[in-house]
Amino acid sequence: MKPFDIVIVGGGGAGLYAAMEAMKTNPSLNIAVLSKVYPNRSHTSAAQGGANAALGNTAKDDTIEMHIFDTIKGSDYLADQDAVDVLCSEAPKIIRELENIGTPWSRLEDNTIAQRPFGGAGRPRCCYCADKTGHTILQTLYEQCLRKGVIFFNEYFALKLSVNGSRSRGLLAMNMKTGKVEAFPAKTVIFATGGYAKMYWNRSSNAAGNTGDGQAIAYRAGIPMKDMEFVQFHPTGLRKSGLLVTEGARGEGGFLINKDGERFMARYAKEKMELGPRDLVSRSIETEILEGRGFDSPAGKYIHLDLTHLGADLIKARLPQIREMSLNFEGVDPIEEPIPVRPTAHYSMGGIDTDNFGRTIMEGVYAAGECACVSVHGANRLGGNSLLDILVFGRIAGRTAAEEAGKFEPGTISEAELKDSVDDLRSRMQPSGHYERYGALREELGQTLALNVGIFREASLVKKGINDISELQDRFKKVRVFDSSDVFNTNLMQVLELQNMLDLAETVAAGALAREESRGSHTRIDFPVRDDEKWHKHTLATRINGKISAGEKPVTMGRYELQERTY
Amino acid sequence: MPETIDQYQEGKRDVTFRVFRFNPQVDSKPYFDDYTISAERGITVLRSLNYIKEHVDASLSFRAFCQAGICGSCGMRVNGISKLACTSQVWDELDKCREPGIIKVEPLRSLPMIKDLIVDMDPLVDKMKHYSNWIETTMPLAEIGKKEFLVSEKEFHRYDKATDCILCASCVSECSILRANKEYVSPAVLLKSYRMNVDSRDGIHDVRLSELVKDHGVWDCTHCYRCQESCVKSIPIMEAIHAIREDAIECRGPKDTSGAKHAEAFMEDIEKKGKLVEATLPIRTNGMVWTLRNLLPMAMKMIVKRRTPPPPPLVKSAKGIKVFRAMFREMTEHVKQDHLKSHKK
Ligand SMILES: Cc1cc2nc3c(=O)[nH]c(=O)nc-3n(C[C@H](O)[C@H](O)[C@H](O)COP(=O)(O)OP(=O)(O)OC[C@H]3O[C@@H](n4cnc5c(N)ncnc54)[C@H](O)[C@@H]3O)c2cc1C
Ligand code: SF4
Ligand code: SF4
Ligand code: FES
Repeated sequence: MKPFDIVIVGGGGAGLYAAMEAMKTNPSLNIAVLSKVYPNRSHTSAAQGGANAALGNTAKDDTIEMHIFDTIKGSDYLADQDAVDVLCSEAPKIIRELENIGTPWSRLEDNTIAQRPFGGAGRPRCCYCADKTGHTILQTLYEQCLRKGVIFFNEYFALKLSVNGSRSRGLLAMNMKTGKVEAFPAKTVIFATGGYAKMYWNRSSNAAGNTGDGQAIAYRAGIPMKDMEFVQFHPTGLRKSGLLVTEGARGEGGFLINKDGERFMARYAKEKMELGPRDLVSRSIETEILEGRGFDSPAGKYIHLDLTHLGADLIKARLPQIREMSLNFEGVDPIEEPIPVRPTAHYSMGGIDTDNFGRTIMEGVYAAGECACVSVHGANRLGGNSLLDILVFGRIAGRTAAEEAGKFEPGTISEAELKDSVDDLRSRMQPSGHYERYGALREELGQTLALNVGIFREASLVKKGINDISELQDRFKKVRVFDSSDVFNTNLMQVLELQNMLDLAETVAAGALAREESRGSHTRIDFPVRDDEKWHKHTLATRINGKISAGEKPVTMGRYELQERTY
Repeated sequence: MPETIDQYQEGKRDVTFRVFRFNPQVDSKPYFDDYTISAERGITVLRSLNYIKEHVDASLSFRAFCQAGICGSCGMRVNGISKLACTSQVWDELDKCREPGIIKVEPLRSLPMIKDLIVDMDPLVDKMKHYSNWIETTMPLAEIGKKEFLVSEKEFHRYDKATDCILCASCVSECSILRANKEYVSPAVLLKSYRMNVDSRDGIHDVRLSELVKDHGVWDCTHCYRCQESCVKSIPIMEAIHAIREDAIECRGPKDTSGAKHAEAFMEDIEKKGKLVEATLPIRTNGMVWTLRNLLPMAMKMIVKRRTPPPPPLVKSAKGIKVFRAMFREMTEHVKQDHLKSHKK
């Protein structure tokens, strides 16, 4: 294949914005976007709430500075303050740009973009399109990429970076339709493959494919991962699937009830009750379950989200989607029965370590979106900041790669390397003797992570988690691909995704064990307070000679001094 | 059936999934495989397929991603109807089985088969490109990102529902005309075209419209309503199709396009003579059914608009008459309802 100037891996919001911006920066470049699903299916479409930008439409006195402060405070002071500056300063421009190219937004009386209040924000600055903001943003970007003639390789599964010393020669990917491994020699590669929260499997709100593929590929190529221990949990996921029941349910007056029929939030947040901040509510539910006041079922322990007292009319009128979800995925009608819920892994703050331009330490390799860690979210992401992150830093990465592609030689990928890759895939289809089921391993990984590296962590638990992960990695070697066909082998794809999750899980657990403090989403029972002296820094995890090696990186300050985070 | 009730109370029932299989590498033609599993209350068709893939047959291939009815990956036909597997309840489907206890699962129609339940979505993407399904902004380049267009909430509501579309292709699979003519624009693409055409920020309304009125475009729609009835997001697709047609007649005149012309001639024919004169219709080129399906709806709509009650049709061809009558009745009903709906608003 003819060498590309830029190969973008991922067709979510970050990848598509990068493609658009790269084409704009230099229209003569040869750019390709690879995606394992059609771009419009990417998980960006799941974001309902909206994207933050200090437009000042709803609250005239909102400012970029206030947005910066809220973000830094929300991050529990772990975000890099210069990066947050970029994020918030670019926000109004990027939202207007999206508006200009066709994103439908809900509107205010004066016909400007509507904004609503969102957790952790001092002003209502979350721009939205009904309850489908991510979906409409993704549609717009996809439409514009089609308009500009971006070259898409849809349903291509990225396998590995081809590395030559300190720089990349391009990428190897499997064409799902043919099963062929194809080489994508390229001057630059941008990873925009989304998050890794699906490693919590049935305890995650994410799409099945949010398996951290880009991160795992970069990790195996020796690029450091940053702050991997920070995984955000949402308090109310459905018991069986982990799918999200939005805050709306509690906002309308839903109760959280334990096995003894108590509204237990009275113990944890007397005033706000069910409407306390996400992490507090998540921890409270988890405590109830750990202390034996949860319900039990074959699908795991849970508590009740009770809406029955709200009445059929209100539920039908204001919470139709929640009712539908509950019916579809739990077989429970919330008008008649409470919904079984428990906290669910929702967002990954950690990711590929990049600078403010999307560069990684490897020449010619960039990353943006949820798969990258710049870091603008630090220890805890604010709602509405992640759509913003993928747009702003997707664009920046696209621009940087377009500007820098000229610096690099076009890479070449040898036949031998291609063949190795093919052989590697083939070998999984023919192991003999005892074999393991990938489905079982996937579920076990999710369980051990949720139990030992979940909301509450403690040295002994996390160590158990690390053991489990390494056992699972061993058993993985015996996983067998039963589908022997080349055409659309989803069996093989899921096995490769499992491998990515297993590789990354070790970085999440290692970070969780190392960080002996509690900050943002990371709660250590044995170290219950934030320890700025020792831990006001980023953790890094790099794979060297097949072994994980820990590092660290200072936090860039400059705007706000450390303060206690209270709401 | 008492045993079903017992099982119901237990919360588990034995269900057979009869799944369409086809692997182009080895199969000369498709076949069905039966998988029987015990399904609990609340389980979806997708979860059942996942279970089968993990525990029974790993080679069973289908697409799925969000598992929450958001991404549009898992469109397939369940008991003959195109829908999302991830939002379809197994126990609901059990009530719709043709053979008791057997849920039939097949790929979407009208898109090329790849393997088992997976079809090729590229033709749909190509059509989105062909009909410029994007906004070509009227904001000058130098101003982009600097200011907002002012758009009323009222305008937003004109395309709000249309932007719910997740491109799952259920409507595509159900569309009657697409099954006969693969080049037909497709309901989802008509919907998207409509959404672009009513957006005040867009600058290529006329270009898009001129493409939509050509062959295989908006005039080919037969008004059968199947797309709307099967839309997984309950989007009123037909309103969009009508709107494009009305827009076309308004902007380009009734004589402009072959579709509009035929519709007019057809209507006159019925009105004047009270019957169909086959010779005046383009049956030779397109065939009876095609012609009726294509032209009847528009003609009906014009008649209703002029408040002329449609006379009973007489068709000589004995072969086509049953089909024609059935269609005529169905469409008269649809057009009427549709007309009422648009008046209520
Ligand atoms: C239920 C839910 C609600 C949310 N709500 C909000 C909200 O209201 N506001 C907000 O700001 N954020 C929200 N978020 C978070 C936000 O949606 C995501 O962080 C963001 O969309 C991620 O975008 P992305 O472009 O980085 O990745 P994604 O959109 O996940 O895209 C990843 C892309 O990479 C591709 N890819 C992955 N692996 C491979 C591979 N191996 N080979 C080829 N391609 C690959 C995929 O095909 C996909 O195209 C929500 C998240 C969830 C789960
Ligand atoms: S109404 Fe038109 S677009 Fe819809 S299914 Fe029928 S022929 Fe197709
Ligand atoms: S219009 Fe409805 S059925 Fe058709 S693709 Fe869109 S969401 Fe699916
Ligand atoms: S899996 Fe996304 S819509 Fe069904």
